[in-house]
Amino acid sequence: MILAAAMNPEALSGAEDAITRLRRGDPDALTAMISRYQHRLYRYLLRLVRQPATAEDLFQQTWLRVMERIGRYDARRDFEAWLFSVAHNLAIDFWRGKRGDSLDAADDSGELSRERLEAGDPDALEQLLDFERGAILAACIHDLPAIHREVLTLRFEEDMKLEEIAEVAGIPLSTVKSRLRRALERLRTVIAARFPGRRGV
Amino acid sequence: MNEHESIVEMLALAAAGALDAAEQRRVDEHARECPACRRELEIWSVYSLGLGRLPQPAVPAQLMERTRARVWQERAAVADRRWNELMLTALALFAWTVGLTFWFLFRILTGGALVIMGANLVRLGTWSAVSTVLVWLTAAVAALALGKRRRELRRVS
Repeated sequence: MILAAAMNPEALSGAEDAITRLRRGDPDALTAMISRYQHRLYRYLLRLVRQPATAEDLFQQTWLRVMERIGRYDARRDFEAWLFSVAHNLAIDFWRGKRGDSLDAADDSGELSRERLEAGDPDALEQLLDFERGAILAACIHDLPAIHREVLTLRFEEDMKLEEIAEVAGIPLSTVKSRLRRALERLRTVIAARFPGRRGV
Repeated sequence: MNEHESIVEMLALAAAGALDAAEQRRVDEHARECPACRRELEIWSVYSLGLGRLPQPAVPAQLMERTRARVWQERAAVADRRWNELMLTALALFAWTVGLTFWFLFRILTGGALVIMGANLVRLGTWSAVSTVLVWLTAAVAALALGKRRRELRRVS
């Protein structure tokens, strides 16, 4: 519903108007833009960093950066992709100061998993969806590397096209494709490992 | 890699709607004839469906208000810094102008010699050194005082 509102032509023209007013430093325009994107942007950041306090801090930093750079924003670019790329870059900056989980360093090697997939149970997910569905799926996603969590949330929750994901993450289209495939395969492996022996779609 | 194997590689992306039209057609045609791939495609479709229906995190209460407040606070701080820099520059220029004007006046009035403690103050080098120290001290103190006043006024309002 949120996405539908964002894709609505009237809403889009409202967004353009708000961007114009944002350039002039209009406080109401900032309120309107935060209100429009807060659910999606917060969700994206939370999926990415997993900690609510960090997600909120990055959310606020994203709008600070938007206000700093809105004057240089090219109106021909998709504002949403630009906004999410600002958030993406801030998340990378956040991880630079940390060890462990990282958007850059996460496993994207591509050596997955034909064997692992076949060893796992291919039908486990549908059983799960019958009773605990989303919560368990979300928990499994939680265990994936950041780059995989990111591509999954951008594709399936933000409903972004691969080109838009490439713009947000600053990577080539071919990398988005391979990353998305690996993320899905890895998710399936995680689910199969967590729930061995469940069968039957 | 034969056709079946290459199609297997594409099934996850097909269910995710991430293939171009030609690739999608290839997958669909193959899946019609291949029960194993059809079955795999169905499983991947369940994943795609589930991923689009994850529980949604609640946005923290008053996130928007806190964000807006932080943005304006930060912008006000930046504006303060810029204003202070501007004032510092303006005051320094003003002080230099006054200093040079007085130098000309003193030269005319004293006939080019005003000796204090063995130094001729009306010599350009001495006058410049003394002026520079006075100018920068005055400008810095004035800018800081004005900036402080601005911040106090903003707090009150």
